Amino acid sequence: MKLTLPALGLAGLLVLAGCGGNLGSDGDSGSTAAYPERAVTLLIGQDAGGSTDLIGRALADPASKDLGQPITVQNRPGANGAVAAKELAAAAPDGYTVMVFVGSLAYITPLAVPADQAVDVNDYEVVTGISQDDFVLIAHPQTGFKTVQDIVAAKRPVKFATTGVGTGSQLTQTLLFAQAGVEATAVPFNGGAPALTAVLGGQVDVAAVQLGEAKEQIEAGKAVPLVTFATQRPSYMPDVPTATEAGFNVPVQQSRAIVAPKGTPAEVVDRLRTAFQKGFAEQAYKDFNTKRLLTANEVDGTALLQQWNGSLQTYRDLVAQHKIDLSAK
Amino acid sequence: MSSVIDGFAVVLEPANLLYCLVGVVIGMLIGVLPGLGPAATIAILLPLTFGLEPVTAVIMLAGIFYGAQYGGTVTSVLLRLPGEASSVVTVFDGHALARQGRAGAALGIAAIGSFVGGTLSIVALTLVAPIVAGFALDFGPPEYTVLALLGIMLVSTISSGGRIRALTAAAVGLLLATVGRDDFTSAERFTFGNLSLADGIDFVPIAMGLFGLGEILYNLEERHRAVQAPTRVTNVWPSRADLRQSSGAIGRGSVIGFVLGILPGGGAVLSSMAAYALEKRRSKHPERFGRGAIEGVAAPETANNAAATSSFIPLLSLGIPANATMAVIFGALLIQGVTPGPQLVTEHPELFWGVVNSMYLGNVLLLIMSIPLLGVFVRILRVRAAVLAPITVLITLVGAYTVNNSVFDIGLVIGFGVLGYLMKKAGFDPGPMVLAFVLGTLLETSLRRSLLLFDDDLTGFLTRPISGTLAVAFLAVILLPLARTLLHRRHPSEPSVPAGGGTESSVPAGGADSSAPVGGADSSVPAGGADSSVPAGGADSSAPVGGADSSVPAGGGADSSVPAAGHAYPFDSAGGEAESSVSAAVRQDGSDSAVGASSGGGFGGRASRQRAAIGDPEAVDPAGTPSGAASDRVTESPRRDNKAEEAE
Repeated sequence: MKLTLPALGLAGLLVLAGCGGNLGSDGDSGSTAAYPERAVTLLIGQDAGGSTDLIGRALADPASKDLGQPITVQNRPGANGAVAAKELAAAAPDGYTVMVFVGSLAYITPLAVPADQAVDVNDYEVVTGISQDDFVLIAHPQTGFKTVQDIVAAKRPVKFATTGVGTGSQLTQTLLFAQAGVEATAVPFNGGAPALTAVLGGQVDVAAVQLGEAKEQIEAGKAVPLVTFATQRPSYMPDVPTATEAGFNVPVQQSRAIVAPKGTPAEVVDRLRTAFQKGFAEQAYKDFNTKRLLTANEVDGTALLQQWNGSLQTYRDLVAQHKIDLSAK
Repeated sequence: MSSVIDGFAVVLEPANLLYCLVGVVIGMLIGVLPGLGPAATIAILLPLTFGLEPVTAVIMLAGIFYGAQYGGTVTSVLLRLPGEASSVVTVFDGHALARQGRAGAALGIAAIGSFVGGTLSIVALTLVAPIVAGFALDFGPPEYTVLALLGIMLVSTISSGGRIRALTAAAVGLLLATVGRDDFTSAERFTFGNLSLADGIDFVPIAMGLFGLGEILYNLEERHRAVQAPTRVTNVWPSRADLRQSSGAIGRGSVIGFVLGILPGGGAVLSSMAAYALEKRRSKHPERFGRGAIEGVAAPETANNAAATSSFIPLLSLGIPANATMAVIFGALLIQGVTPGPQLVTEHPELFWGVVNSMYLGNVLLLIMSIPLLGVFVRILRVRAAVLAPITVLITLVGAYTVNNSVFDIGLVIGFGVLGYLMKKAGFDPGPMVLAFVLGTLLETSLRRSLLLFDDDLTGFLTRPISGTLAVAFLAVILLPLARTLLHRRHPSEPSVPAGGGTESSVPAGGADSSAPVGGADSSVPAGGADSSVPAGGADSSAPVGGADSSVPAGGGADSSVPAAGHAYPFDSAGGEAESSVSAAVRQDGSDSAVGASSGGGFGGRASRQRAAIGDPEAVDPAGTPSGAASDRVTESPRRDNKAEEAE
C-alpha cells in the first residue's frame, strides 16, 4: 500500500507526458506494404505551447485519422530545432519518425552560426510543406512612426527588438534598415512576446513580430503597423503595405514543413503526404490556420526545397551585399 | 460591477464547476510530480479543450496552473526535490521541518498560505487589474537588471551555511548560467560542441540533481556511518503557535507575491526569494532559518501562489504572456477565437470575470483537497529509506526526462547529483548555486540588453524612474553604513581600519549594475541587497551598525568589530537590539568573516591587515559570548551547523 502513491504518480506521469509512442521496435523496415503498422512519432524541435508545437499538434490529430495509426507528438526543444533535426537524422528511415522542420533553421540560422552547426534541409526527405507566418514591423505610437519613410525622415538612430539571433525577425529588420540607410541597433529578446512587450513599453522604437502576435495590439491602437514582410498584403491587414510595395527587397517568412530521415522509401513518404493532405483538408485545421493568421503552403517536397534553398541563397546574397553579420552584436 | 457578479454566474454553471475541479486536480498531481511542469501539461491537454467553450477551457487550464503551485510544495518538503524554481527556497526550511517529523506542519502551513496568498491576490486582481497592468510595461531590461542584482544579493542572505561557501556556490551558479549559445551573438559558450547544451542547462536537472539526488547519496553514506533514528512523524497539523508565527509571513508574502508576480519573467522566483529574505531579516532569531523555521515555508509558498495569480494580469489585461504557461494559455485562447489583449475585458467580460472568479472556487477546492491529502503525503516519510530512496531516484530521473524528453538531461541530473553530494560533504549549501543559476540568465541578458539600449552608457540606469529609484535605494543602503564608518574613523578611540576595508569592498558593488555582480555580492554588500529589497530601506541599516558598535566593547578591540560590521546588518533590522545583531554576527564564524577580507583583497590595499584581523576566530568569540544570545553557536563552524541540522 505504501508504494501505491508514488507508483500511481509515475503512471500518471508517463501518461501525461504522452510517452506512449515509442515503445515498438525501430527495427527492420523491410516490408513497407503494411505501412503504417504502428504509431508514428512526430518530433517538434520547439517547446510545447509555441507556434510550431501548436501547428504540429493541430495537424497530428486529423492526419492520424487517415493513417489509421496514432501520431505521437514529442517535443525535443533546443537550438531552434537543431537538436531534434540531429535526432531525426539518426532515426531509422522507415517513416515512423518524422519532424516539423522550421524554415528559419534551414535558411536563416546558417547565416548566424558556424558552418559545422548549420543544418541542411537537403539532408532530409521532405514530406510536405505546411504553412507560412508573416512578419509585421510595429512601432510604439509615441514614436510617431507610421511608415518606414517616417523612420528615415526622423534622421536619428533607432533601436529595434528582435525575437532572437538568427530569426526572421532579426533578418527582416536588419535588411530593411540597411536598405533604408537607417542607423539601427538590434536588441535581441527571447521570443515574440518579450519583443512585443518591449515595443508596448516603449523600451525600443520598433520590432518585427509575427502577425498573430501583434494583431490585437494593433487593433487596440497600442502598436502601429508600418509594413509587413509578406509577399502580398494579408487579408486582415489590407491597409498596411508590404515591404516590396514600400520599395524594399526583404522577402522573409517563417515557414514549416514535415520532413523524414534521408532514405525513407518513396512510397512511405507518399503515404505520409496523403495522410497530411487529408489533414490539411479538414475544416478544423483550416479554422486553426485562419485563427492563427497562417498562410497555407501545402506544397510537395520538390517545391518546398526549391523555396527554401532559394531563400537561403537570396539571404546569403543580400546579407553579403549589405555587409551584414547576423551573429555580431 | 455587474459584470463581476455575472462572472460568478458563469463559474456556477455545472460544466465550469466540473472543469475547474478537473483542472485543479490535474494541477495538484503534476505539481506533486517533479519535472513535468504546468506549461507542458497544458500544451499536451490543449487538444482536449478544442470542443469546450472558451471560458470553460481557460478555467480548466488556469486551474492546472495554480493547482500546480499547491502541489509543488510537497516534494520540496518531503524529498527535497523542488519541481519549480519558485519552490527552491521552500526546500531549506520545509525539508528541515520534515526531518524533525513536522512535515505535516510544513505542508499544512504551505496549503493555508497558498490559499490566503492566492485569494488575496484574486481580490487585488479584481479591484486593481487595469490600473496595475501598466506596471508590467514599465519594467524593461534596465529594471530587470537591478532586480536581478538585488535577487543575487539576497541569495547569500538566504543560505544557512557559511557566507564564503554560499558565495562560492553562487558564483558557480552564475557560471553555469552562461552555458549555451549566447543570446546576442550566437557564439557557443561551454557547450563543447554538444547541441543538447546549445540552449543552456535546464533548471530542473540542476535543482533535482543538487537537491534531490545529492541528498539521497549523502543520506546513504550517513546511514552507513551511524544508525539513524527513524523520523517520527509527530504532529500532522500546524499547531496554533505555528499559525500565529506564520500569520505575518503570510500577509507580507501575499503582498510581495502579488506585486512581483505582475512582472513578466522571473516574477514568481524573485517573489519567493524576496519573501523568504524579508522574513529572515525581520525575525528576531534569524538563525532559526534553514533549520526548520515555519515562516520560512509560509512566506515563499504564499508569495509564489500570489504571484501565480497576479501573473494573469498582464495576459488578461494587456495580452502579454508573463511566463511559459501564460504563453500556452494565450495560444489556447487564440485557437478558441479569442485574442487576449487590451480589449479583452470590454469585448469578452464573461470570459475575463468567469476566469478570474473561478480562481476563488479553485483555491477553495485546493484547500479542501489538501487537508485529507496531507496525512497521505506525510505517510510517505514512514516508508523505509531503503524503499523510498530508489523510488525517489526513479521519479527524479523520469521527471527530468519529461521536461525536454532528453536522455542527456538524465545524465545531467546524475552529474549534478554527484556534485550535490560532494558539496554537502564539503559543507556547501547547494541553495545559493541553484538560485544564482536561475537569476544569472536574467541578469546577464537584461544587463546586455540595457547596455544596447543605452549605447553602453551606464548612467542610463539612473535616468529611468524605476531602475533609478531602485538603484539609488540600493546605493544608499551601501553608502549609509559607509558614511557611518567614515564618521567612526574620526573617532580616535575607534580602531576603524578594518571597517574602512569593508567599505572599500562595497564601493565596487555600487557600480555592480554594470560589471562585477559576483564581486559585488561579496562582503558587506549582500547586506545592502537585503536591506534595499525591503521597503524599510536605509533607515534600518543604520540600526544594525549601531548593533555592531555595541559589540565592539564586548569584544574589546579592533578585531571583533570587523565581523560585526560585516555581517550584523543583513539580518537584524527588526529592532537593532544589540542582542539580536550580536547573535547574527556570532552565527557567522571565522571562516565567514574571511569573505570581507578576500573581497577586500581584490580592491583595497588593506586586505592583509583586514585578513589578519578577521582570520582569527578567537577575536570573534569574545564579541558574542558575553552578550549571551545564541552563545552556544559561537564556536560552531558552518560545517558543524550542518551536522547539527542533520542530527535534529
